[in-house]
Amino acid sequence: MKRVVRLKCRGRVHNVEVDGTEKVPRRAAIVPVPGGVWVSLDGHCEFFEPVLGSVPLPSRAADPEVRAPMTGRIVAIRVKPGDAVREGDVLVVLEAMKMEYRVAAPAAGTVATVRVSERDRVEIGTVLVTMSPP
Amino acid sequence: MTKILVANRGEIACRIFRTLRDMGISSVAIHSEGDKDSPHLDEADEAVEVEGNDPAKSYLNIQGILEAAGKTGATAIHPGYGFLSTNPKFPSACERAKLTFIGPTSAAMTALGDKRSARATAERCGIPVVPGARECDSPESAQAVADRVGYPILVKAAGGGGGRGLRQVEDAASLPEAFAAARREAESSFRDGRMLVEKFIHPARHVEIQILGGGKRAVAFGERECSLQRRFQKVIEESPSPGLSGSLRASMADAAEKLAAAAGYTNAGTVEFLLGPDGSWYFLEVNARLQVEHPVTEARFGVDLVAAQVDLALGGPLPAPAEPRGHAIEARINAEDPGRDYLPMTGRVAALRWPQRPDLRVDGGIREGQEVLPWFDPLLGKIIAWGHDREWARRRLLGGLRDLVLAGVPTNQRFLIDTLESEFFIQGETFTTTLESHSWTPPEPSKEMLVAAATAAAPPAPKSKSASPWRARGSWRMGS
Repeated sequence: MKRVVRLKCRGRVHNVEVDGTEKVPRRAAIVPVPGGVWVSLDGHCEFFEPVLGSVPLPSRAADPEVRAPMTGRIVAIRVKPGDAVREGDVLVVLEAMKMEYRVAAPAAGTVATVRVSERDRVEIGTVLVTMSPP
Repeated sequence: MTKILVANRGEIACRIFRTLRDMGISSVAIHSEGDKDSPHLDEADEAVEVEGNDPAKSYLNIQGILEAAGKTGATAIHPGYGFLSTNPKFPSACERAKLTFIGPTSAAMTALGDKRSARATAERCGIPVVPGARECDSPESAQAVADRVGYPILVKAAGGGGGRGLRQVEDAASLPEAFAAARREAESSFRDGRMLVEKFIHPARHVEIQILGGGKRAVAFGERECSLQRRFQKVIEESPSPGLSGSLRASMADAAEKLAAAAGYTNAGTVEFLLGPDGSWYFLEVNARLQVEHPVTEARFGVDLVAAQVDLALGGPLPAPAEPRGHAIEARINAEDPGRDYLPMTGRVAALRWPQRPDLRVDGGIREGQEVLPWFDPLLGKIIAWGHDREWARRRLLGGLRDLVLAGVPTNQRFLIDTLESEFFIQGETFTTTLESHSWTPPEPSKEMLVAAATAAAPPAPKSKSASPWRARGSWRMGS
């Protein structure tokens, strides 16, 4: 399945089309870290940050609001108020450009409110879920 | 029994400890509180924490270091480079504490480490010095020197080095501000506000002679060319210099030996010269310590300069002059962004794999998982390649730099590769201003890199959260 992955590198966003059949040179080093991935190939090493994706935002336990990482449509809501979640648990599934993105809990906690419904259209930055500490 | 404390950290401490192990000498590391997991501790037999108000201060705490030596029964101290290595108070304090200082005596360090007195000694020996070269205590007196020798001029700290307290001044209008800025930097870096003013030779090569001093006599171990500098800090060094003829080389080595002998210099040191476009050359200064780029000399002469330093400090004789062979080039891997004015960078070393190759040496001072801290020098390690000729040394170094995997902290790796591949480097047209005049922009990531990042960033339909690479902290992989 063809997908477009948007990656930010040195402030520039790259749209990378992938269909799962790509071969990556064996000598490339692929180093996932919280918030992105480092790729080192032939002495060129860069950090790539996904612009949209199934990736939880960088862990910020203090931030009780989980926001939409992109503009799109809510296709599924996986939690309800009162649910205890662990870091990385999927809260909401968003869809845009025929791709699904899972919005995950940035930290462990309890779901306080769910601010959206299935099939809602949301803008980037819209609060989807609010959380309280565990 | 000799036991040596190394008053340093990072790659140079690691490098010194390795030689001490080869010599069968036991060793002591010191560290600040934040450095208790740093790699240099693994290379030593013992480690002692030294207090400091901030992490760098531990390595400047003379009293604390002497106490650490007393506590561990160390008999000698190696200062490495930077930190206390060129502070004449340190060898004096070691002497009072009955510890052997592995470096020049306090007197020799003062005689040649201070730019002003070194220049006076050089002039007495008949060694040419840069025109101007006067101590100035105000922008007005600097202006008087400039009127005599003409712009551009250099304003620099009399008691400093490493590019701090140094300004290049193009015209009279910018002199007052540049003078004040350089002096502020000198005062904060070296607690010494004395300034020197001299003519700026352009385009010039930076050529330096490695010496080992035995007091009455000194032996030169060839030259290193270190013209490629950014912000007056060297990044690529080589030996021999591509810009030096045989007779020039001999005259410079002769001058360096003469200067060291005249000052009664002991132990390892480096005499720096500027080589002008017309073949004229001038004494610049002496670095009264082991230098970052010393492996270039070791590769070419087959000597271990740290072992030689230890032998000399313990009363051994001067080593015999050695015959050089082939060519050696060093590249410094710095945590910095050459695309943004070499801004120092910090971060956690997420992946590290040093290259391997015949005649390729790695002096590293970091390990995977380590935080690169903002308080220290950005130097993470050095790669030094030897070849039977310059082209082979260059190819090996390039190969090593391409194979190096160092992720998690932005470094100058790609910049070093592009520099070694540039026409000016291939032609040996390297001058102190070359890097400034060839601005570098990081290339766009290749298609292959983007695909690699994309496959990691969004793996096809993850089945569970544990399948997401974003959760796989601490593990990395090669290709797919």
